[in-house]
Amino acid sequence: MKRRDFFKTSIAASAALVGSSLSAGVTTQPITGRKISKVAFPEKRPMITYSDRPPLLETPRDIFTQSITPNDSFFVRWHLPDIPTYIDPDAYTIKIDGLVERELNISLKSLKHDFEQVEVTAVLQCGGNSRSAFHPIPGGIQWGSGAMGCAKWKGVRLSDILDRAGLKKDAQWIGFNGLEKAAYYETPNFVRELHLEELDDHVILAYEMNGEDLPYLNGYPLRLIIPGYYSDSWVKMMSHITVTNKYKSLFFMDEAYRVPDNATESETPQKHFKSTKPITKMNVKSVIGYPLEGAKIAYHSQLVVRGVAFDSGLGIKDVQISLDDGKTWESALLDNDAGRYAYKAFRFGFKPNKYGKLKIMAKAINRLGEEQPLAKDVLWNHGGYKYNGIDVVNVEVV
Amino acid sequence: MKKLIVMMLLSISLFAQVKEEMEVPYIAYEIKMGKGFDAVNANCLMCHSFGYIINQGPQSKLFWKKKIDKMIVHFKAPITKEDQKTVLDYLYKHYGNGELK
Repeated sequence: MKRRDFFKTSIAASAALVGSSLSAGVTTQPITGRKISKVAFPEKRPMITYSDRPPLLETPRDIFTQSITPNDSFFVRWHLPDIPTYIDPDAYTIKIDGLVERELNISLKSLKHDFEQVEVTAVLQCGGNSRSAFHPIPGGIQWGSGAMGCAKWKGVRLSDILDRAGLKKDAQWIGFNGLEKAAYYETPNFVRELHLEELDDHVILAYEMNGEDLPYLNGYPLRLIIPGYYSDSWVKMMSHITVTNKYKSLFFMDEAYRVPDNATESETPQKHFKSTKPITKMNVKSVIGYPLEGAKIAYHSQLVVRGVAFDSGLGIKDVQISLDDGKTWESALLDNDAGRYAYKAFRFGFKPNKYGKLKIMAKAINRLGEEQPLAKDVLWNHGGYKYNGIDVVNVEVV
Repeated sequence: MKKLIVMMLLSISLFAQVKEEMEVPYIAYEIKMGKGFDAVNANCLMCHSFGYIINQGPQSKLFWKKKIDKMIVHFKAPITKEDQKTVLDYLYKHYGNGELK
Protein backbone atom coordinates (compact mmCIF):
# COMPACT_ATOMS: atom_id res chain seq x y z
CA MET A 1 0.00 0.00 0.00
CA LYS A 2 1.26 3.46 -0.89
CA ARG A 3 1.29 5.30 2.39
CA ARG A 4 1.58 8.67 0.72
CA ASP A 5 -1.74 8.16 -1.04
CA PHE A 6 -3.14 6.81 2.16
CA PHE A 7 -2.49 10.11 3.89
CA LYS A 8 -3.39 12.53 1.17
CA THR A 9 -6.86 13.06 2.56
CA SER A 10 -5.64 13.29 6.11
CA ILE A 11 -3.02 15.89 5.26
CA ALA A 12 -5.59 17.90 3.33
CA ALA A 13 -7.90 17.81 6.32
CA SER A 14 -5.16 18.99 8.67
CA ALA A 15 -4.03 21.71 6.27
CA ALA A 16 -7.52 23.16 6.28
CA LEU A 17 -7.14 23.73 9.99
CA VAL A 18 -3.86 25.57 9.91
CA GLY A 19 -4.36 29.10 11.17
CA SER A 20 -7.46 28.33 13.16
CA SER A 21 -7.13 28.22 16.90
CA LEU A 22 -6.80 24.69 18.14
CA SER A 23 -7.04 25.62 21.79
CA ALA A 24 -10.55 24.22 22.09
CA GLY A 25 -10.03 21.28 19.80
CA VAL A 26 -11.78 21.18 16.43
CA THR A 27 -14.02 18.49 14.99
CA THR A 28 -14.57 17.91 11.27
CA GLN A 29 -15.94 15.10 9.15
CA PRO A 30 -13.83 11.97 9.64
CA ILE A 31 -11.45 10.93 6.87
CA THR A 32 -13.16 9.10 4.05
CA GLY A 33 -12.10 7.32 0.89
CA ARG A 34 -8.94 5.71 2.22
CA LYS A 35 -7.39 3.16 -0.08
CA ILE A 36 -8.36 -0.45 0.20
CA SER A 37 -5.34 -2.67 0.62
CA LYS A 38 -4.41 -5.11 -2.11
CA VAL A 39 -3.82 -7.72 0.57
CA ALA A 40 -6.69 -9.82 1.87
CA PHE A 41 -6.65 -11.18 5.43
CA PRO A 42 -8.06 -14.63 6.27
CA GLU A 43 -11.81 -14.87 5.55
CA LYS A 44 -11.87 -11.19 4.58
CA ARG A 45 -11.95 -9.40 1.29
CA PRO A 46 -9.33 -6.65 0.96
CA MET A 47 -10.16 -3.86 3.42
CA ILE A 48 -8.66 -0.59 4.64
CA THR A 49 -5.64 -1.90 6.54
CA TYR A 50 -3.93 0.02 9.33
CA SER A 51 -1.80 -2.76 10.74
CA ASP A 52 -1.05 -6.43 10.18
CA ARG A 53 0.13 -7.03 13.72
CA PRO A 54 -2.12 -6.75 15.60
CA PRO A 55 -4.59 -6.80 12.69
CA LEU A 56 -6.59 -3.59 12.26
CA LEU A 57 -9.00 -3.57 9.33
CA GLU A 58 -11.65 -1.00 8.48
CA THR A 59 -14.85 -1.64 6.53
CA PRO A 60 -15.05 0.45 3.34
CA ARG A 61 -17.88 2.97 3.44
CA ASP A 62 -19.88 1.58 0.51
CA ILE A 63 -20.76 -1.46 2.64
CA PHE A 64 -22.97 0.78 4.78
CA THR A 65 -25.86 0.62 2.34
CA GLN A 66 -26.67 -2.78 3.85
CA SER A 67 -28.44 -3.42 7.13
CA ILE A 68 -26.26 -6.48 7.73
CA THR A 69 -22.49 -6.18 7.33
CA PRO A 70 -21.14 -9.24 5.50
CA ASN A 71 -18.64 -11.27 7.52
CA ASP A 72 -15.91 -10.81 4.93
CA SER A 73 -16.17 -7.02 5.20
CA PHE A 74 -16.64 -6.76 8.95
CA PHE A 75 -14.03 -4.59 10.69
CA VAL A 76 -11.24 -6.10 12.78
CA ARG A 77 -9.54 -4.70 15.85
CA TRP A 78 -7.16 -6.61 18.14
CA HIS A 79 -5.14 -5.08 20.96
CA LEU A 80 -2.25 -7.47 21.48
CA PRO A 81 0.14 -8.99 18.94
CA ASP A 82 -0.06 -12.69 19.66
CA ILE A 83 -3.28 -14.33 18.54
CA PRO A 84 -3.34 -18.13 18.83
CA THR A 85 -2.18 -19.80 15.65
CA TYR A 86 -4.37 -22.82 16.07
CA ILE A 87 -7.73 -23.45 17.71
CA ASP A 88 -9.24 -26.90 17.90
CA PRO A 89 -13.03 -26.46 18.15
CA ASP A 90 -13.40 -29.98 19.56
CA ALA A 91 -11.06 -29.25 22.44
CA TYR A 92 -12.02 -25.63 23.12
CA THR A 93 -13.53 -24.91 26.50
CA ILE A 94 -14.48 -21.81 28.42
CA LYS A 95 -13.74 -21.70 32.11
CA ILE A 96 -16.02 -20.07 34.68
CA ASP A 97 -14.56 -19.62 38.15
CA GLY A 98 -14.27 -17.23 41.07
CA LEU A 99 -17.26 -16.62 43.31
CA VAL A 100 -19.38 -19.45 41.94
CA GLU A 101 -20.88 -22.55 43.53
CA ARG A 102 -19.53 -24.77 40.76
CA GLU A 103 -16.47 -24.09 38.63
CA LEU A 104 -17.30 -24.96 35.05
CA ASN A 105 -15.36 -25.86 31.93
CA ILE A 106 -17.87 -25.77 29.12
CA SER A 107 -17.00 -27.14 25.70
CA LEU A 108 -18.21 -25.53 22.49
CA LYS A 109 -20.30 -28.58 21.84
CA SER A 110 -21.96 -28.34 25.23
CA LEU A 111 -22.66 -24.65 24.69
CA LYS A 112 -24.48 -25.50 21.49
CA HIS A 113 -26.46 -28.40 22.95
CA ASP A 114 -26.99 -27.97 26.67
CA PHE A 115 -28.19 -24.36 26.72
CA GLU A 116 -31.01 -22.42 25.14
CA GLN A 117 -29.82 -20.98 21.82
CA VAL A 118 -30.64 -17.32 21.25
CA GLU A 119 -30.07 -14.75 18.52
CA VAL A 120 -29.69 -11.00 18.50
CA THR A 121 -28.97 -8.61 15.65
CA ALA A 122 -26.71 -5.92 17.03
CA VAL A 123 -24.27 -3.21 15.98
CA LEU A 124 -20.64 -3.65 16.96
CA GLN A 125 -18.83 -0.31 16.94
CA CYS A 126 -15.38 0.64 18.22
CA GLY A 127 -15.53 3.56 20.66
CA GLY A 128 -12.85 5.22 18.53
CA ASN A 129 -14.77 4.87 15.28
CA SER A 130 -14.41 8.10 13.23
CA ARG A 131 -11.56 9.24 15.48
CA SER A 132 -9.94 11.03 12.54
CA ALA A 133 -12.64 13.70 12.96
CA PHE A 134 -10.87 15.12 16.04
CA HIS A 135 -8.09 17.75 15.82
CA PRO A 136 -5.51 17.90 17.18
CA ILE A 137 -5.47 14.17 16.80
CA PRO A 138 -5.88 12.19 19.94
CA GLY A 139 -3.58 9.18 19.95
CA GLY A 140 -4.94 5.92 18.66
CA ILE A 141 -5.89 4.52 15.31
CA GLN A 142 -7.17 7.25 13.03
CA TRP A 143 -10.29 5.40 11.94
CA GLY A 144 -12.61 6.70 9.25
CA SER A 145 -16.27 5.73 9.64
CA GLY A 146 -15.81 1.99 9.15
CA ALA A 147 -14.89 0.67 12.59
CA MET A 148 -18.44 -0.61 12.88
CA GLY A 149 -20.73 -3.32 11.56
CA CYS A 150 -24.03 -5.04 12.24
CA ALA A 151 -24.50 -8.79 12.39
CA LYS A 152 -26.92 -11.42 13.56
CA TRP A 153 -25.22 -13.14 16.46
CA LYS A 154 -26.17 -16.58 17.74
CA GLY A 155 -25.12 -18.07 21.02
CA VAL A 156 -26.01 -18.59 24.65
CA ARG A 157 -27.14 -16.09 27.27
CA LEU A 158 -24.39 -15.15 29.68
CA SER A 159 -26.97 -15.21 32.47
CA ASP A 160 -27.77 -18.87 31.68
CA ILE A 161 -24.10 -19.76 32.02
CA LEU A 162 -23.75 -17.84 35.26
CA ASP A 163 -26.93 -19.51 36.58
CA ARG A 164 -25.47 -22.92 35.76
CA ALA A 165 -22.34 -22.02 37.72
CA GLY A 166 -24.37 -20.47 40.53
CA LEU A 167 -23.28 -17.02 41.67
CA LYS A 168 -22.29 -16.69 45.31
CA LYS A 169 -23.98 -14.01 47.39
CA ASP A 170 -21.19 -11.46 47.26
CA ALA A 171 -20.59 -11.77 43.50
CA GLN A 172 -20.44 -8.32 41.89
CA TRP A 173 -17.97 -8.12 39.03
CA ILE A 174 -17.57 -10.40 36.05
CA GLY A 175 -14.17 -10.42 34.36
CA PHE A 176 -13.75 -11.57 30.76
CA ASN A 177 -10.51 -12.68 29.18
CA GLY A 178 -9.71 -13.79 25.66
CA LEU A 179 -6.76 -15.64 24.21
CA GLU A 180 -4.81 -12.75 22.68
CA LYS A 181 -1.43 -12.30 24.35
CA ALA A 182 1.15 -9.57 24.63
CA ALA A 183 4.80 -9.83 23.66
CA TYR A 184 5.89 -9.30 27.27
CA TYR A 185 4.63 -11.12 30.32
CA GLU A 186 4.41 -7.81 32.16
CA THR A 187 1.99 -6.28 29.66
CA PRO A 188 -1.54 -6.27 31.05
CA ASN A 189 -3.90 -8.81 29.51
CA PHE A 190 -6.92 -7.55 27.67
CA VAL A 191 -9.27 -8.25 30.55
CA ARG A 192 -12.60 -6.49 30.82
CA GLU A 193 -14.76 -6.26 33.90
CA LEU A 194 -18.45 -5.54 33.94
CA HIS A 195 -20.67 -5.02 36.93
CA LEU A 196 -23.48 -7.55 37.30
CA GLU A 197 -26.03 -4.76 36.93
CA GLU A 198 -24.80 -4.03 33.40
CA LEU A 199 -25.35 -7.58 32.25
CA ASP A 200 -28.93 -8.16 31.18
CA ASP A 201 -30.44 -11.05 29.24
CA HIS A 202 -29.42 -9.50 25.94
CA VAL A 203 -25.76 -10.22 26.66
CA ILE A 204 -24.72 -13.44 24.97
CA LEU A 205 -21.67 -15.55 24.26
CA ALA A 206 -21.83 -15.94 20.50
CA TYR A 207 -20.27 -18.62 18.33
CA GLU A 208 -22.10 -17.72 15.13
CA MET A 209 -22.21 -14.54 13.05
CA ASN A 210 -24.66 -14.14 10.16
CA GLY A 211 -25.22 -17.89 10.02
CA GLU A 212 -21.53 -18.85 9.91
CA ASP A 213 -18.91 -19.66 12.52
CA LEU A 214 -17.37 -16.45 13.80
CA PRO A 215 -14.54 -15.48 11.46
CA TYR A 216 -11.14 -15.98 13.06
CA LEU A 217 -10.39 -12.30 13.09
CA ASN A 218 -13.74 -11.49 14.68
CA GLY A 219 -13.02 -13.71 17.65
CA TYR A 220 -13.45 -17.35 16.69
CA PRO A 221 -14.70 -19.49 18.29
CA LEU A 222 -16.53 -17.44 20.93
CA ARG A 223 -17.01 -13.79 21.76
CA LEU A 224 -19.05 -11.65 24.08
CA ILE A 225 -21.97 -9.67 22.60
CA ILE A 226 -23.19 -6.66 24.60
CA PRO A 227 -25.90 -5.02 22.47
CA GLY A 228 -25.98 -1.24 22.65
CA TYR A 229 -22.47 -0.95 24.08
CA TYR A 230 -19.26 0.01 22.29
CA SER A 231 -17.15 -2.97 21.30
CA ASP A 232 -14.36 -2.59 23.85
CA SER A 233 -15.97 -5.14 26.14
CA TRP A 234 -17.04 -7.57 23.41
CA VAL A 235 -14.08 -9.82 24.29
CA LYS A 236 -12.90 -12.07 21.45
CA MET A 237 -11.69 -15.69 21.62
CA MET A 238 -13.26 -15.74 25.04
CA SER A 239 -11.66 -18.35 27.26
CA HIS A 240 -12.21 -17.36 30.85
CA ILE A 241 -14.92 -15.75 32.97
CA THR A 242 -14.07 -14.88 36.56
CA VAL A 243 -16.58 -13.73 39.14
CA THR A 244 -15.30 -11.43 41.90
CA ASN A 245 -16.63 -9.13 44.59
CA LYS A 246 -14.03 -6.44 44.03
CA TYR A 247 -13.15 -4.39 41.01
CA LYS A 248 -9.57 -4.99 39.92
CA SER A 249 -7.41 -2.20 38.62
CA LEU A 250 -6.86 -2.93 34.96
CA PHE A 251 -5.20 -0.87 32.25
CA PHE A 252 -7.82 -1.61 29.64
CA MET A 253 -10.52 -0.56 32.11
CA ASP A 254 -8.88 2.34 33.94
CA GLU A 255 -6.96 4.09 31.18
CA ALA A 256 -8.37 3.11 27.81
CA TYR A 257 -11.87 3.61 26.45
CA ARG A 258 -12.84 6.41 28.80
CA VAL A 259 -14.26 9.89 28.33
CA PRO A 260 -14.25 12.95 30.62
CA ASP A 261 -16.72 12.50 33.46
CA ASN A 262 -18.60 15.76 32.92
CA ALA A 263 -21.95 16.66 31.36
CA THR A 264 -20.57 17.27 27.86
CA GLU A 265 -17.92 14.52 28.04
CA SER A 266 -15.41 17.02 26.69
CA GLU A 267 -12.18 18.83 27.49
CA THR A 268 -9.50 20.90 25.80
CA PRO A 269 -6.27 19.51 24.35
CA GLN A 270 -4.30 21.69 26.80
CA LYS A 271 -6.23 20.74 29.90
CA HIS A 272 -7.64 17.27 30.22
CA PHE A 273 -10.50 16.78 32.63
CA LYS A 274 -9.32 14.91 35.69
CA SER A 275 -11.92 12.25 36.24
CA THR A 276 -13.09 9.91 33.52
CA LYS A 277 -15.81 7.31 32.98
CA PRO A 278 -16.15 4.29 30.67
CA ILE A 279 -17.63 4.94 27.22
CA THR A 280 -20.35 2.25 27.67
CA LYS A 281 -23.51 2.98 25.63
CA MET A 282 -23.44 4.15 22.02
CA ASN A 283 -24.88 7.50 21.00
CA VAL A 284 -27.14 8.06 17.98
CA LYS A 285 -25.30 7.94 14.66
CA SER A 286 -25.77 7.52 10.92
CA VAL A 287 -23.37 6.89 8.05
CA ILE A 288 -24.09 7.36 4.34
CA GLY A 289 -22.95 4.37 2.25
CA TYR A 290 -24.00 5.75 -1.15
CA PRO A 291 -23.08 7.92 -2.91
CA LEU A 292 -19.44 8.29 -1.91
CA GLU A 293 -17.47 11.50 -1.44
CA GLY A 294 -16.50 13.08 -4.75
CA ALA A 295 -18.86 10.96 -6.86
CA LYS A 296 -20.13 12.39 -10.14
CA ILE A 297 -23.91 12.11 -10.43
CA ALA A 298 -25.77 12.62 -13.70
CA TYR A 299 -28.05 15.66 -13.78
CA HIS A 300 -31.72 14.76 -13.29
CA SER A 301 -30.96 11.08 -12.79
CA GLN A 302 -32.64 9.01 -10.09
CA LEU A 303 -30.30 9.24 -7.12
CA VAL A 304 -31.04 7.12 -4.07
CA VAL A 305 -28.99 8.03 -1.00
CA ARG A 306 -28.51 5.00 1.22
CA GLY A 307 -27.04 4.49 4.64
CA VAL A 308 -27.43 3.01 8.10
CA ALA A 309 -28.43 4.47 11.47
CA PHE A 310 -28.35 3.13 15.02
CA ASP A 311 -28.12 4.02 18.70
CA SER A 312 -27.78 2.17 21.99
CA GLY A 313 -31.04 0.28 21.52
CA LEU A 314 -33.64 2.93 22.28
CA GLY A 315 -34.43 2.70 18.59
CA ILE A 316 -34.15 4.98 15.55
CA LYS A 317 -37.31 7.01 14.98
CA ASP A 318 -36.28 9.04 11.95
CA VAL A 319 -33.39 9.68 9.59
CA GLN A 320 -33.48 13.04 7.85
CA ILE A 321 -31.66 14.22 4.77
CA SER A 322 -30.72 17.79 3.92
CA LEU A 323 -29.59 19.00 0.50
CA ASP A 324 -29.36 22.70 1.39
CA ASP A 325 -26.65 22.76 4.06
CA GLY A 326 -29.02 21.93 6.88
CA LYS A 327 -31.66 24.60 6.26
CA THR A 328 -34.40 22.07 5.55
CA TRP A 329 -34.65 18.37 6.34
CA GLU A 330 -36.78 15.60 4.86
CA SER A 331 -37.37 12.14 6.28
CA ALA A 332 -35.80 9.15 4.55
CA LEU A 333 -37.53 5.77 4.19
CA LEU A 334 -36.52 3.25 6.87
CA ASP A 335 -36.28 -0.51 6.41
CA ASN A 336 -38.13 -3.12 8.42
CA ASP A 337 -37.39 -3.63 12.05
CA ALA A 338 -34.59 -6.10 12.72
CA GLY A 339 -34.70 -5.26 16.42
CA ARG A 340 -33.72 -2.24 18.43
CA TYR A 341 -29.99 -3.00 18.47
CA ALA A 342 -29.71 -3.45 14.70
CA TYR A 343 -28.83 -1.04 11.91
CA LYS A 344 -31.79 0.83 10.53
CA ALA A 345 -31.04 1.06 6.81
CA PHE A 346 -32.39 4.25 5.23
CA ARG A 347 -32.92 5.44 1.67
CA PHE A 348 -33.85 8.76 0.15
CA GLY A 349 -34.54 9.18 -3.56
CA PHE A 350 -34.51 12.40 -5.55
CA LYS A 351 -33.47 13.86 -8.88
CA PRO A 352 -30.63 16.38 -8.63
CA ASN A 353 -31.87 19.40 -10.59
CA LYS A 354 -28.88 21.73 -10.29
CA TYR A 355 -25.45 21.30 -11.84
CA GLY A 356 -22.35 21.56 -9.70
CA LYS A 357 -21.50 20.73 -6.12
CA LEU A 358 -24.10 19.04 -3.95
CA LYS A 359 -23.75 18.45 -0.22
CA ILE A 360 -25.79 15.57 1.17
CA MET A 361 -26.31 15.46 4.94
CA ALA A 362 -27.85 12.66 7.03
CA LYS A 363 -29.09 12.98 10.60
CA ALA A 364 -30.54 10.21 12.76
CA ILE A 365 -33.00 10.82 15.59
CA ASN A 366 -33.88 8.20 18.20
CA ARG A 367 -37.06 7.55 20.14
CA LEU A 368 -35.91 9.79 22.97
CA GLY A 369 -35.54 12.64 20.50
CA GLU A 370 -31.75 12.58 20.71
CA GLU A 371 -30.22 13.56 17.40
CA GLN A 372 -26.79 13.84 15.85
CA PRO A 373 -25.06 17.21 16.22
CA LEU A 374 -23.19 18.89 13.38
CA ALA A 375 -19.61 17.62 13.20
CA LYS A 376 -18.28 20.96 14.42
CA ASP A 377 -20.47 20.71 17.51
CA VAL A 378 -19.11 17.32 18.57
CA LEU A 379 -16.86 18.28 21.47
CA TRP A 380 -13.24 17.16 21.67
CA ASN A 381 -11.99 14.49 24.09
CA HIS A 382 -8.45 13.20 24.44
CA GLY A 383 -9.27 9.62 23.49
CA GLY A 384 -11.15 10.62 20.36
CA TYR A 385 -14.17 8.59 21.40
CA LYS A 386 -17.88 8.67 20.57
CA TYR A 387 -17.84 10.86 17.43
CA ASN A 388 -21.39 11.01 16.05
CA GLY A 389 -21.56 14.11 13.86
CA ILE A 390 -24.19 14.51 11.14
CA ASP A 391 -22.74 12.63 8.17
CA VAL A 392 -21.85 14.65 5.08
CA VAL A 393 -21.04 13.48 1.55
CA ASN A 394 -20.13 15.95 -1.19
CA VAL A 395 -20.84 14.98 -4.79
CA GLU A 396 -20.85 16.76 -8.12
CA VAL A 397 -23.86 16.87 -10.41
CA VAL A 398 -22.69 16.77 -14.03
CA MET B 1 13.76 10.86 -2.27
CA LYS B 2 14.19 9.40 1.15
CA LYS B 3 15.51 5.94 1.40
CA LEU B 4 12.80 3.52 2.35
CA ILE B 5 13.20 0.16 3.91
CA VAL B 6 10.90 -2.74 3.69
CA MET B 7 10.88 -4.85 6.81
CA MET B 8 10.26 -8.53 6.55
CA LEU B 9 8.39 -10.37 9.27
CA LEU B 10 7.55 -14.01 9.47
CA SER B 11 3.90 -14.39 8.69
CA ILE B 12 1.85 -16.06 11.35
CA SER B 13 0.21 -19.35 10.52
CA LEU B 14 -3.38 -19.91 11.48
CA PHE B 15 -5.69 -22.85 11.11
CA ALA B 16 -9.20 -21.88 10.23
CA GLN B 17 -12.27 -23.47 11.68
CA VAL B 18 -12.50 -25.20 8.32
CA LYS B 19 -9.22 -26.89 9.24
CA GLU B 20 -7.31 -25.35 6.40
CA GLU B 21 -4.12 -23.54 6.99
CA MET B 22 -4.45 -19.77 6.85
CA GLU B 23 -1.90 -17.06 7.20
CA VAL B 24 -2.22 -13.55 8.50
CA PRO B 25 -0.48 -11.67 5.71
CA TYR B 26 2.57 -9.59 6.22
CA ILE B 27 2.42 -5.99 5.02
CA ALA B 28 5.56 -4.14 4.00
CA TYR B 29 5.10 -0.74 5.62
CA GLU B 30 7.29 1.91 4.08
CA ILE B 31 8.99 3.11 7.22
CA LYS B 32 11.61 5.81 6.82
CA MET B 33 15.25 4.93 7.35
CA GLY B 34 17.57 7.06 9.38
CA LYS B 35 19.60 7.46 12.53
CA GLY B 36 18.01 5.60 15.41
CA PHE B 37 16.04 3.22 13.24
CA ASP B 38 17.70 0.18 14.83
CA ALA B 39 16.28 1.18 18.21
CA VAL B 40 12.81 1.67 16.70
CA ASN B 41 13.08 -1.70 15.04
CA ALA B 42 14.16 -3.41 18.24
CA ASN B 43 11.70 -1.76 20.64
CA CYS B 44 8.51 -0.89 18.76
CA LEU B 45 8.18 -3.89 16.49
CA MET B 46 8.03 -6.32 19.42
CA CYS B 47 4.40 -5.37 20.01
CA HIS B 48 3.06 -3.66 16.91
CA SER B 49 3.64 -3.05 13.22
CA PHE B 50 4.98 0.19 11.79
CA GLY B 51 1.42 0.83 10.62
CA TYR B 52 0.74 2.18 14.10
CA ILE B 53 3.45 4.83 13.74
CA ILE B 54 2.66 5.83 10.18
CA ASN B 55 -1.08 6.08 10.88
CA GLN B 56 -0.56 8.87 13.42
CA GLY B 57 0.64 11.30 10.76
CA PRO B 58 3.17 14.07 11.51
CA GLN B 59 3.04 15.00 15.21
CA SER B 60 4.79 17.14 17.78
CA LYS B 61 7.75 16.04 19.86
CA LEU B 62 5.57 16.03 22.97
CA PHE B 63 3.01 13.79 21.24
CA TRP B 64 5.69 11.21 20.43
CA LYS B 65 7.20 11.49 23.90
CA LYS B 66 3.79 10.71 25.43
CA LYS B 67 3.42 7.73 23.12
CA ILE B 68 6.74 6.29 24.22
CA ASP B 69 5.84 6.92 27.87
CA LYS B 70 2.52 5.11 27.37
CA MET B 71 4.30 2.05 25.99
CA ILE B 72 6.60 1.99 29.02
CA VAL B 73 4.13 2.86 31.78
CA HIS B 74 1.02 1.02 30.60
CA PHE B 75 2.28 -1.68 28.27
CA LYS B 76 5.49 -2.33 30.23
CA ALA B 77 7.76 -2.16 27.21
CA PRO B 78 11.35 -2.50 28.53
CA ILE B 79 12.85 0.45 26.64
CA THR B 80 16.14 1.72 28.08
CA LYS B 81 16.63 5.42 28.86
CA GLU B 82 19.10 5.67 26.02
CA ASP B 83 16.75 4.04 23.53
CA GLN B 84 13.86 6.24 24.66
CA LYS B 85 15.82 9.28 23.55
CA THR B 86 16.99 7.65 20.32
CA VAL B 87 13.46 6.54 19.40
CA LEU B 88 12.03 9.96 20.24
CA ASP B 89 14.61 11.73 18.07
CA TYR B 90 13.94 9.34 15.21
CA LEU B 91 10.14 9.73 15.42
CA TYR B 92 10.32 13.50 15.64
CA LYS B 93 12.77 13.76 12.78
CA HIS B 94 10.83 11.52 10.40
CA TYR B 95 7.25 11.77 11.68
CA GLY B 96 7.36 15.18 13.37
CA ASN B 97 5.35 18.28 12.48
CA GLY B 98 8.10 20.72 13.40
CA GLU B 99 6.49 21.65 16.71
CA LEU B 100 7.79 20.80 20.14
CA LYS B 101 4.36 20.75 21.78
